Amino acid sequence: MDRYQYLLLMAACAFGTLPLEFVFRARVYRRPRRLLGALALPLGAFLLWDAVAIARHHWRFNGRYVTGWELPFSVPVEELVFFVVIPICALLTFETCGYVLGRTRGRDDAGRPGARVRRARAVLGPDTAEPGR
Amino acid sequence: MNVPEYSAAAVGAAVAVAVLDVKRWRSGLFRMPAYWCTIGICLFFMVLVNGWLTKLSAPIVRYAADEKTPWRFPFDIPVEDYFFGFALLHWVLARWVLLGRSRAHRVGAAR
Repeated sequence: MDRYQYLLLMAACAFGTLPLEFVFRARVYRRPRRLLGALALPLGAFLLWDAVAIARHHWRFNGRYVTGWELPFSVPVEELVFFVVIPICALLTFETCGYVLGRTRGRDDAGRPGARVRRARAVLGPDTAEPGR
Repeated sequence: MNVPEYSAAAVGAAVAVAVLDVKRWRSGLFRMPAYWCTIGICLFFMVLVNGWLTKLSAPIVRYAADEKTPWRFPFDIPVEDYFFGFALLHWVLARWVLLGRSRAHRVGAAR
Protein backbone atom coordinates (compact mmCIF):
# COMPACT_ATOMS: atom_id res chain seq x y z
CA MET A 1 0.00 0.00 0.00
CA ASP A 2 2.92 2.32 0.70
CA ARG A 3 3.81 2.58 -2.96
CA TYR A 4 0.44 4.18 -3.71
CA GLN A 5 1.02 6.93 -1.17
CA TYR A 6 1.77 9.71 -3.68
CA LEU A 7 -1.19 8.68 -5.86
CA LEU A 8 -3.50 8.46 -2.85
CA LEU A 9 -2.44 11.94 -1.75
CA MET A 10 -3.40 13.24 -5.20
CA ALA A 11 -6.71 11.34 -5.04
CA ALA A 12 -7.43 12.98 -1.67
CA CYS A 13 -6.82 16.42 -3.24
CA ALA A 14 -9.08 15.64 -6.20
CA PHE A 15 -11.93 14.24 -4.11
CA GLY A 16 -11.53 16.83 -1.37
CA THR A 17 -12.09 19.68 -3.82
CA LEU A 18 -14.81 17.96 -5.87
CA PRO A 19 -17.70 19.43 -3.80
CA LEU A 20 -16.63 22.93 -4.91
CA GLU A 21 -17.72 22.03 -8.43
CA PHE A 22 -21.26 21.42 -7.28
CA VAL A 23 -21.87 23.11 -3.93
CA PHE A 24 -20.32 26.42 -5.02
CA ARG A 25 -21.08 25.95 -8.72
CA ALA A 26 -17.45 26.32 -9.68
CA ARG A 27 -18.09 24.78 -13.12
CA VAL A 28 -14.50 23.78 -13.84
CA TYR A 29 -14.96 20.14 -14.83
CA ARG A 30 -18.08 21.14 -16.74
CA ARG A 31 -16.06 23.43 -18.99
CA PRO A 32 -13.68 20.77 -20.34
CA ARG A 33 -12.41 22.71 -23.36
CA ARG A 34 -11.46 25.73 -21.31
CA LEU A 35 -9.96 23.46 -18.66
CA LEU A 36 -7.86 21.61 -21.20
CA GLY A 37 -6.81 24.89 -22.78
CA ALA A 38 -5.71 26.27 -19.41
CA LEU A 39 -3.84 23.12 -18.36
CA ALA A 40 -2.10 21.86 -21.48
CA LEU A 41 0.76 24.31 -21.91
CA PRO A 42 1.78 24.54 -18.22
CA LEU A 43 1.46 20.75 -17.97
CA GLY A 44 3.89 20.24 -20.85
CA ALA A 45 6.33 22.83 -19.57
CA PHE A 46 6.36 21.50 -16.01
CA LEU A 47 6.77 17.90 -17.17
CA LEU A 48 9.76 19.08 -19.19
CA TRP A 49 11.13 20.88 -16.14
CA ASP A 50 10.57 17.71 -14.13
CA ALA A 51 12.44 15.58 -16.69
CA VAL A 52 15.38 18.00 -16.71
CA ALA A 53 15.44 18.23 -12.91
CA ILE A 54 15.42 14.43 -12.60
CA ALA A 55 18.17 14.09 -15.22
CA ARG A 56 20.27 16.74 -13.44
CA HIS A 57 19.58 15.10 -10.05
CA HIS A 58 17.81 18.11 -8.51
CA TRP A 59 15.31 15.72 -6.99
CA ARG A 60 14.39 12.07 -7.01
CA PHE A 61 11.46 10.00 -5.86
CA ASN A 62 11.37 7.59 -2.99
CA GLY A 63 10.72 4.18 -4.54
CA ARG A 64 8.86 3.19 -1.43
CA TYR A 65 6.04 5.69 -1.98
CA VAL A 66 5.62 5.71 -5.77
CA THR A 67 4.18 3.01 -8.00
CA GLY A 68 7.23 2.77 -10.24
CA TRP A 69 5.08 3.45 -13.32
CA GLU A 70 7.12 5.89 -15.34
CA LEU A 71 6.69 8.21 -18.30
CA PRO A 72 9.63 8.81 -20.68
CA PHE A 73 12.74 10.38 -19.10
CA SER A 74 12.09 8.62 -15.78
CA VAL A 75 9.23 10.95 -14.81
CA PRO A 76 6.91 9.07 -12.41
CA VAL A 77 3.29 8.95 -13.57
CA GLU A 78 2.43 10.52 -10.20
CA GLU A 79 4.02 13.76 -11.41
CA LEU A 80 1.68 13.89 -14.40
CA VAL A 81 -1.22 13.40 -12.02
CA PHE A 82 0.16 16.17 -9.78
CA PHE A 83 0.35 18.68 -12.66
CA VAL A 84 -3.29 17.94 -13.54
CA VAL A 85 -4.87 17.61 -10.09
CA ILE A 86 -3.21 20.52 -8.27
CA PRO A 87 -4.03 23.15 -10.94
CA ILE A 88 -7.64 21.87 -11.00
CA CYS A 89 -7.80 22.34 -7.21
CA ALA A 90 -6.61 25.93 -7.71
CA LEU A 91 -9.15 26.58 -10.47
CA LEU A 92 -11.98 25.19 -8.33
CA THR A 93 -10.82 27.42 -5.48
CA PHE A 94 -10.64 30.45 -7.78
CA GLU A 95 -14.13 29.95 -9.16
CA THR A 96 -15.46 29.34 -5.65
CA CYS A 97 -13.81 32.52 -4.35
CA GLY A 98 -15.32 34.45 -7.25
CA TYR A 99 -18.74 32.98 -6.55
CA VAL A 100 -18.64 33.61 -2.80
CA LEU A 101 -17.14 37.11 -3.07
CA GLY A 102 -19.62 38.02 -5.80
CA ARG A 103 -22.52 36.92 -3.62
CA THR A 104 -21.39 38.54 -0.39
CA ARG A 105 -20.95 41.83 -2.21
CA GLY A 106 -24.59 41.73 -3.19
CA ARG A 107 -23.78 42.51 -6.79
CA ASP A 108 -25.23 39.31 -8.11
CA ASP A 109 -22.18 37.50 -9.44
CA ALA A 110 -20.55 40.50 -11.07
CA GLY A 111 -17.25 39.95 -9.31
CA ARG A 112 -17.03 36.37 -10.41
CA PRO A 113 -14.73 35.33 -13.21
CA GLY A 114 -16.82 34.45 -16.20
CA ALA A 115 -19.54 36.92 -15.22
CA ARG A 116 -19.31 38.50 -18.65
CA VAL A 117 -20.22 35.21 -20.25
CA ARG A 118 -23.25 34.91 -18.05
CA ARG A 119 -24.27 38.50 -18.71
CA ALA A 120 -23.98 37.78 -22.41
CA ARG A 121 -26.03 34.66 -21.89
CA ALA A 122 -28.70 36.67 -20.10
CA VAL A 123 -28.84 39.14 -22.97
CA LEU A 124 -28.43 36.79 -25.90
CA GLY A 125 -30.05 33.63 -24.60
CA PRO A 126 -28.51 30.33 -23.59
CA ASP A 127 -27.66 29.23 -27.13
CA THR A 128 -24.91 31.81 -27.51
CA ALA A 129 -23.42 31.15 -24.10
CA GLU A 130 -21.12 28.32 -25.11
CA PRO A 131 -19.71 29.09 -28.54
CA GLY A 132 -17.59 26.37 -30.04
CA ARG A 133 -19.44 23.57 -28.34
CA MET B 1 30.09 30.51 -5.50
CA ASN B 2 27.67 28.29 -7.36
CA VAL B 3 24.04 29.26 -7.58
CA PRO B 4 21.91 26.20 -6.77
CA GLU B 5 20.13 25.24 -9.99
CA TYR B 6 16.71 24.48 -8.52
CA SER B 7 16.69 27.78 -6.60
CA ALA B 8 17.57 29.74 -9.75
CA ALA B 9 15.03 27.87 -11.89
CA ALA B 10 12.21 28.26 -9.35
CA VAL B 11 12.72 32.00 -8.77
CA GLY B 12 13.27 32.55 -12.49
CA ALA B 13 10.05 30.75 -13.42
CA ALA B 14 7.99 32.66 -10.84
CA VAL B 15 9.36 36.04 -11.95
CA ALA B 16 8.93 35.14 -15.63
CA VAL B 17 5.28 34.18 -15.15
CA ALA B 18 4.51 37.32 -13.13
CA VAL B 19 6.25 39.65 -15.62
CA LEU B 20 4.74 37.93 -18.66
CA ASP B 21 1.29 38.25 -17.14
CA VAL B 22 1.61 41.94 -16.30
CA LYS B 23 3.33 42.91 -19.56
CA ARG B 24 1.83 40.59 -22.13
CA TRP B 25 -1.05 38.32 -21.08
CA ARG B 26 -2.78 41.00 -18.97
CA SER B 27 -5.07 38.59 -17.12
CA GLY B 28 -5.61 41.22 -14.41
CA LEU B 29 -5.35 38.48 -11.77
CA PHE B 30 -3.26 40.61 -9.41
CA ARG B 31 -6.14 43.10 -9.16
CA MET B 32 -8.82 40.47 -8.47
CA PRO B 33 -9.93 39.82 -4.86
CA ALA B 34 -10.82 36.27 -5.94
CA TYR B 35 -7.19 35.72 -6.92
CA TRP B 36 -5.80 36.72 -3.52
CA CYS B 37 -8.47 34.61 -1.84
CA THR B 38 -7.29 31.69 -3.98
CA ILE B 39 -3.63 32.32 -3.17
CA GLY B 40 -4.36 32.32 0.55
CA ILE B 41 -6.36 29.09 0.47
CA CYS B 42 -3.92 27.35 -1.87
CA LEU B 43 -1.00 28.38 0.31
CA PHE B 44 -2.64 26.79 3.33
CA PHE B 45 -3.33 23.49 1.55
CA MET B 46 0.03 23.59 -0.19
CA VAL B 47 1.73 23.57 3.20
CA LEU B 48 -0.20 20.41 4.10
CA VAL B 49 0.31 18.56 0.80
CA ASN B 50 3.85 19.75 0.14
CA GLY B 51 4.69 19.16 3.77
CA TRP B 52 3.61 15.55 3.37
CA LEU B 53 5.57 15.12 0.12
CA THR B 54 8.82 16.54 1.45
CA LYS B 55 8.83 15.58 5.13
CA LEU B 56 12.33 14.40 5.93
CA SER B 57 11.12 11.58 8.20
CA ALA B 58 9.56 9.73 5.25
CA PRO B 59 10.06 11.81 2.09
CA ILE B 60 8.22 11.04 -1.15
CA VAL B 61 10.44 13.56 -2.96
CA ARG B 62 14.08 13.97 -2.04
CA TYR B 63 16.14 16.98 -3.04
CA ALA B 64 19.84 17.21 -3.82
CA ALA B 65 21.30 19.37 -1.07
CA ASP B 66 23.61 21.29 -3.39
CA GLU B 67 20.93 22.28 -5.91
CA LYS B 68 18.81 24.27 -3.51
CA THR B 69 19.14 26.50 -0.47
CA PRO B 70 19.16 24.80 2.94
CA TRP B 71 16.04 26.78 3.94
CA ARG B 72 12.95 24.72 4.64
CA PHE B 73 9.76 26.21 6.16
CA PRO B 74 7.46 25.17 7.67
CA PHE B 75 7.92 21.46 8.35
CA ASP B 76 10.55 20.42 5.79
CA ILE B 77 9.23 22.29 2.75
CA PRO B 78 12.04 23.72 0.61
CA VAL B 79 11.35 27.46 0.14
CA GLU B 80 11.94 26.99 -3.59
CA ASP B 81 8.73 24.97 -3.80
CA TYR B 82 6.66 28.11 -3.15
CA PHE B 83 8.11 29.75 -6.26
CA PHE B 84 7.58 26.53 -8.22
CA GLY B 85 3.97 26.37 -7.03
CA PHE B 86 3.31 30.03 -7.77
CA ALA B 87 4.63 29.69 -11.33
CA LEU B 88 2.44 26.65 -11.99
CA LEU B 89 -0.76 27.97 -10.45
CA HIS B 90 -0.53 31.57 -11.64
CA TRP B 91 0.15 30.42 -15.20
CA VAL B 92 -2.88 28.08 -15.18
CA LEU B 93 -5.16 30.69 -13.57
CA ALA B 94 -4.06 33.33 -16.09
CA ARG B 95 -4.80 31.02 -19.01
CA TRP B 96 -8.18 30.12 -17.49
CA VAL B 97 -9.13 33.79 -17.14
CA LEU B 98 -7.92 34.69 -20.64
CA LEU B 99 -9.74 31.76 -22.24
CA GLY B 100 -12.94 32.78 -20.47
CA ARG B 101 -12.49 36.34 -21.67
CA SER B 102 -11.87 35.44 -25.29
CA ARG B 103 -14.99 33.32 -25.20
CA ALA B 104 -16.99 36.23 -23.78
CA HIS B 105 -15.66 38.50 -26.53
CA ARG B 106 -16.74 36.05 -29.17
CA VAL B 107 -20.18 36.03 -27.62
CA GLY B 108 -20.18 39.84 -27.68
CA ALA B 109 -18.99 39.90 -31.30
CA ALA B 110 -21.88 37.66 -32.28
CA ARG B 111 -24.34 40.46 -31.61
